[in-house]
Amino acid sequence: MPLVAYPDAALTIWQGKDALKFIDGLSTNKMVDLEKGHLIQTVFTSSQAKIIDFVTVFHMGEVLAVQCHQSKLHNLLNHVLPRILSQDVSITDVTERNQFAIEYGVTNEHIGTFVSLSNVTYGHTESNMNIVIASKENSFEYTGTANEFDSWRIENLVPWNNHEITTKNHPLAAGLGQFVHPAKGCYIGQEILARMVSRGRQGKNLVRCKNTEVDDKLITTRGEIYSLGIVRPNQ
Amino acid sequence: MDCGTCETSSPVQLMTPEVVDVNLSISNKAQEMLSDAFGDDRSMALLVGVLSGGCSGYMYDLQIVEETDQNCQEITVDGFKVLVPNASSHLLDGIEIDYVDRLMGGGFKINNPNAESSCGCGESFS
Repeated sequence: MPLVAYPDAALTIWQGKDALKFIDGLSTNKMVDLEKGHLIQTVFTSSQAKIIDFVTVFHMGEVLAVQCHQSKLHNLLNHVLPRILSQDVSITDVTERNQFAIEYGVTNEHIGTFVSLSNVTYGHTESNMNIVIASKENSFEYTGTANEFDSWRIENLVPWNNHEITTKNHPLAAGLGQFVHPAKGCYIGQEILARMVSRGRQGKNLVRCKNTEVDDKLITTRGEIYSLGIVRPNQ
Repeated sequence: MDCGTCETSSPVQLMTPEVVDVNLSISNKAQEMLSDAFGDDRSMALLVGVLSGGCSGYMYDLQIVEETDQNCQEITVDGFKVLVPNASSHLLDGIEIDYVDRLMGGGFKINNPNAESSCGCGESFS
């Protein structure tokens, strides 16, 4: 399956006995049942329910490896660090030690798990993708291009960082609804998202549309004929 | 994946807030309810802390404890020993601990002049 570079990825290590509960209290998905060897994807949201970052949490046993994004890391840390208070949580940025890629179009039989083979970690996500993380000593052989990956995303309605997943959108509009747990406890932005769901009014939706059918400014990932866009139902 | 946890990567610097000397008050109703909870044993303490989470980002944490491993300031208010973690002292200075007596949504409540907003249930603030 094609392997493409993931240049905006970042990797942070969260340690301490309260780390999992801490992430659970500040993001949209239910984290507290996560077990070693498993991963889960979740969204940190602002008080207006806008996306701060969409992250993948790998439970490594003693620590949590949180794959986030370099372009959003500053805001993410500004959001979480003041809230640690007296909880046992520390965060280390190890982005510089690692390189990142996406293997897409895969059929994952074990969604929500990860394996490490020869120091390369493959995280099996829900979107028929593997997040691939390796130390800088390894070398990736990329077999796909960013344009080809975008075409695949358009075909499969897969949102991506800095296209659909931006700080202007909330998770439901950005196509991340499956990572918003409907019945977990409170977190920042939860009341707004819960109200949108309960009233059936989430406003915008991620759609695949013909380029000629939508306003240019609503397109978030442009393809040759079809594109991804975040639009209101009547747009 | 290289976690770097055994090597030289140092943790991101925490934003350590300034520790303030906390003043707090306890309403008459809350004193009554605390007296019921403590009984005659005043060796116990009321721990008033803050955790991350909740709709507004911070949640109050009220516990009756013998001791805690948190770095706390100990104050005596109306005969009750109260422990306030230094890490959250900046969020708790000036609060009033109240008790609301009603069937739904009743219980101990914190009136906090530092809170810009709070969620509907009153357990969370920012």
